[in-house]
Amino acid sequence: MRIEHLERRIGLVLAVATLAGITLVGIGVASMALTGVRPLARPYPGLDWGRLGSDIWALRPEGLLWLGLIAVILTPAIRVGAALVGFAAGREGRQAGIALAVLAIMLLGVLLGHGG
Amino acid sequence: MGDLLLLVACGGAAGAFGALLGLGGGILIVPLLTLGFGLPFREAVGVSLVCVIVTSNAAASVYLQRGAANLRLGMTLEMFTAAAALAGGLIAFALPERVLAVLFAGLLAYVALVMARGRAPEDAQPVVAAPQAPAVEGYPDSLSGEGYRVRHLGRGVAGSLVAGIVSALFGIGGGIVKVPLMNLVMGVPMRVATATSNMMIGVTASAGAMIYLLRGGIDPYVAAPTALGVFAGASIASRLANRLDLKLLRVAFVVVLSLTALQMLLRGIT
Repeated sequence: MRIEHLERRIGLVLAVATLAGITLVGIGVASMALTGVRPLARPYPGLDWGRLGSDIWALRPEGLLWLGLIAVILTPAIRVGAALVGFAAGREGRQAGIALAVLAIMLLGVLLGHGG
Repeated sequence: MGDLLLLVACGGAAGAFGALLGLGGGILIVPLLTLGFGLPFREAVGVSLVCVIVTSNAAASVYLQRGAANLRLGMTLEMFTAAAALAGGLIAFALPERVLAVLFAGLLAYVALVMARGRAPEDAQPVVAAPQAPAVEGYPDSLSGEGYRVRHLGRGVAGSLVAGIVSALFGIGGGIVKVPLMNLVMGVPMRVATATSNMMIGVTASAGAMIYLLRGGIDPYVAAPTALGVFAGASIASRLANRLDLKLLRVAFVVVLSLTALQMLLRGIT
């Protein structure tokens, strides 16, 4: 695959993922408004993986907000993943390796974040 | 409801100003949240990183579809910006907030100074075709694009490390480091450097945001409305940019940025 085609495809993937992420954030903000959540109230809800699924299922604002924010934060990783697939398909071993390294670094962020 | 709308509006203003003046929104969001809404500095940085990802994603998707960004070069350098952003995130949680505020005041003063000289940081040099020097055959050559050859990859890597740390420490995209670096040092034309930097910002900020997210440094109630506002503001402003006279806006912005730097400094030292 030519690099121009790959870039166009990755751009499209990124556009769709961005729109999906910001739509989820928008739904979360709408649910905040509907339920009367005060954004500057303290303490704010932390990310609780154990409760996330049930919060989303129950359409609680914090669940919807975290879903949207996590989608936004992970969107660049989706772009890198799409590049990895494209480079691997085009047999560009070195660039595929770089994409894999970037994903590994982002994964390291998850481990370091949990370490605190 | 009032606070919610205010956060969306402030995000919108930051996104619009950022898009009109060629800055990332982070340089505006952090002071708005700390000085305007009383958020602790670190929380404001966490929110800002989310906003920076949103703007980068939106811009990068367009740049990539138009073929304006250099994907190979961007991904090579973002290995280093992302790794440094992890370090920056860890440093941010180790440093006292006062120190971060004083350092951020210095950054604001620098950006104000650059803009006062009549240029946005991301178009600091009106280079169309970047100065050329003999490129070394090999890997850097494979990163080159149409009409230019990438050089000084080692310096590019060193600068990318700085950009990554700065991004995670202060919640900015780091374009103020990456664009001049690629353009002036690595020989990448300005338009390509800007587009490639925009693409890299998403991964850099995402790596830093991961640390903030998992260490409880992102407030979802503030991050979501602000990010939504930034997205809307930047989208609208990018369509108006060609119709507005930006000179007056830039002067006003320099004044606001200078005063904000002073306030941030005072917050840090008092």
